[in-house]
Amino acid sequence: MTPTVSASGLSLRYGGTRALDDVSLRLTAGVTGLLGPNGAGKTTLLRVLATALPADRGTFTVLGHDPATARGRQEVRRRLGYLPQTPGFHPDFTAFEFVDYVAILKEMTDRGVRHREVRRVLDEAGLADVRGKRIRKLSGGMRQRVALGAALVGDPGFLVLDEPTVGLDPEQRMRFRELIAGAGEGRTVLLSTHQTEDVAMLCHRVLVMAGGRVRFEGTPAELTARAAGRVWSSAERDPGAKAGWRTGTGSFRNLGDPPAGADLLEPTLEDGYLLTLDGAGAEVAA
Amino acid sequence: MTAVVEKPAVSGTLEEPGGPRKAVLALALFESRRLLTRIPVLVAFAVYVGWTVWRSGKAWGDYPALQDADRATQGAPMLIGLAVLLSVNSAALRSHRHGTEQLLTVLVLPRWRRTAAHALSVVAAALLTAVCVAGQFGREALRPGAIGHGSVGELLVGPLTVLLFGLAGLLMAGLVRSAVAAPLLVVLFLFLFLFFSGMDYGAALWLLPVVEDATSNTLPSDLLGRPAAWHALYLAGLALSLGLLALLVAGGRKPAVFAGVAGTLAMTLVGGVAQSAGDSPELVRARERASVHPEQVQSCVRRDGSTYCAFPEWEPRVGDWARVVDRVRSLAGGGAHEQDVVVRQRVEARYGLSGDAALESLKRPHEVTVGTQWGGNRVPEFSAAVAGVLIAGDEKAATSICDGRIVPLMWLAVGWESDPLDALRRVRLNDTVTGSDSVLQPTDGLYMTEAQTEVLRALLDLPRAEAGARVKDRWVELTAPKITAARAAELLGLPAPEGEDKCL
Repeated sequence: MTPTVSASGLSLRYGGTRALDDVSLRLTAGVTGLLGPNGAGKTTLLRVLATALPADRGTFTVLGHDPATARGRQEVRRRLGYLPQTPGFHPDFTAFEFVDYVAILKEMTDRGVRHREVRRVLDEAGLADVRGKRIRKLSGGMRQRVALGAALVGDPGFLVLDEPTVGLDPEQRMRFRELIAGAGEGRTVLLSTHQTEDVAMLCHRVLVMAGGRVRFEGTPAELTARAAGRVWSSAERDPGAKAGWRTGTGSFRNLGDPPAGADLLEPTLEDGYLLTLDGAGAEVAA
Repeated sequence: MTAVVEKPAVSGTLEEPGGPRKAVLALALFESRRLLTRIPVLVAFAVYVGWTVWRSGKAWGDYPALQDADRATQGAPMLIGLAVLLSVNSAALRSHRHGTEQLLTVLVLPRWRRTAAHALSVVAAALLTAVCVAGQFGREALRPGAIGHGSVGELLVGPLTVLLFGLAGLLMAGLVRSAVAAPLLVVLFLFLFLFFSGMDYGAALWLLPVVEDATSNTLPSDLLGRPAAWHALYLAGLALSLGLLALLVAGGRKPAVFAGVAGTLAMTLVGGVAQSAGDSPELVRARERASVHPEQVQSCVRRDGSTYCAFPEWEPRVGDWARVVDRVRSLAGGGAHEQDVVVRQRVEARYGLSGDAALESLKRPHEVTVGTQWGGNRVPEFSAAVAGVLIAGDEKAATSICDGRIVPLMWLAVGWESDPLDALRRVRLNDTVTGSDSVLQPTDGLYMTEAQTEVLRALLDLPRAEAGARVKDRWVELTAPKITAARAAELLGLPAPEGEDKCL
């Protein structure tokens, strides 16, 4: 089966920092979550895959096109939707104008076809009622949906979303999850996030990055399973635990190697993620 | 490490992408619509159109000479140009200012093609300006009595100025990524324009986009000596150079763009050098001939015994002159009633548009000067000159009149008008109808004393037929040299004037 995205040995240094270190991956249709602490290299990886940044070493293809060449890069961009970590907006544009503008930059030149497409993605993003409103008058959540609409315009085969739910309230985040789930039907979505709930709810696959390397790849269930037998409850914080915190019930939830006879708990995806980071030498804060 | 996602791949692509050129055109339409609806641009166009309409309504009845009307279209578009400069600069900096560059970078159309779309939006603004200029000029051309020829080169200056300013704003956005730069450029330009346009820097003045000649002199088209076509080439070359440089700065380092920059710089150079060449010897000779020996380049026609000699472009105006001559003669008495005159159109062209347009009075008998402007105040001025020649015999003698003959002279000049008092006001230097004042003529003026004005006013207060009859009855005495205003009043049966009757 041909993957949508296939990368091999991607490496990139910023001065003395190794932002990407020999990253290889293959992505096919569906939503793949990308977890990792700050500085793990998530955004760098997304920017490289979105052709915003060239890698120092390594190769990758998107839908069979190699962005190493100018023509290949154009072909990749024709098939790409990108929502950056901090998407800017032109505040005096209406939502419709902004997405229309992006559609033109994606070479959608037929005005009628383009406007139908813009209306479609704005409807899909739940912005049908506000498409004539200036972006400066929209809430943060609505702006984020405009950005998602802009990423979706032209029905790209590969969608790169960099922390799209940051700064959204729970209701907006839930709405956004619905949109991402819809966007993941029939196309490949790479979703970078700090929210393990996002991954648990949306993703059929998950990658964990730390120190510029991929530390885990598999299903959310497999990541969760990494913590099986390594989460326990105690009245006080267990000094032998790699991480522990007081829960709402007053007892402590500990991660690590449990003592004999410990009261083991059902692991979560976050437990698996934190223990994976610990295994990668990353700091596990709790 | 390899991550494998085992699901069937889809190959989503944009449907039928139109290609980069079509995308640039689509984006240019998008940017044009935005540019033309920016508040500074809307205000500039509104001011331009409003000013043009207002000015056209305030033309004081002057008949347009199209070789002047074309230049009159050049100043106002500078306002549009400055608004376009600011707006297109702001639009080009939009992605930088609002942090969208990281998104736009991964879209298909690269930055230099976006810059090309901005450049095309400036072309749209220039084309709209061209429509306004065509409207302004067309309105003048369609006014009754319009004569002469407009120059395409002169008419292009307005739109090309908008193009030049807009593309300068675009280049500025590529060079200085700051919103402050363009307003500073505008201030700098205004300073340079105001500083240099008020001075005579000769050929160097033509480096400015708009070169205005502060003159009311109207010359035949072929004597203007303005290098309009070369200046248009210079402006077009300069504007296109700036636009193509903006593409280069934005990353469009293509062979065609480099070649374009070279070609347009060559255009600028050729136009700039050619426009600075100054007046050719042929032009100097032609101006000399038209100024000193106009009969060599004029054709003359006879109407009712009088002869009318005009430069070729003014031949359609002979009928207007003849009507005035007939009406003036109809009010005269004695031999003047039948006196034929030679109406000679004259112009002082030796110094071009920058020179003094003043003409010396003619000494040839019964030859009267008519200028190159017509309509409005020029009509009673010409009428006064005809009256002066009928009374004094020649222009030189007429302009020396300093006695009561002014009364019949001015009666002849304004008595036939539908509103003689208004005509009197318009023909006098200070727009007065009382007291003393100078009377304007195509050549040297006359002087009316307070007493003469009083007598004329009293004459004008009479019914026209009665006043005309009294003048004709006493024609010989009224036109005798050294007659006083008081004596003229007495002869005309009018009250004696109380004001002073002393010439300057």
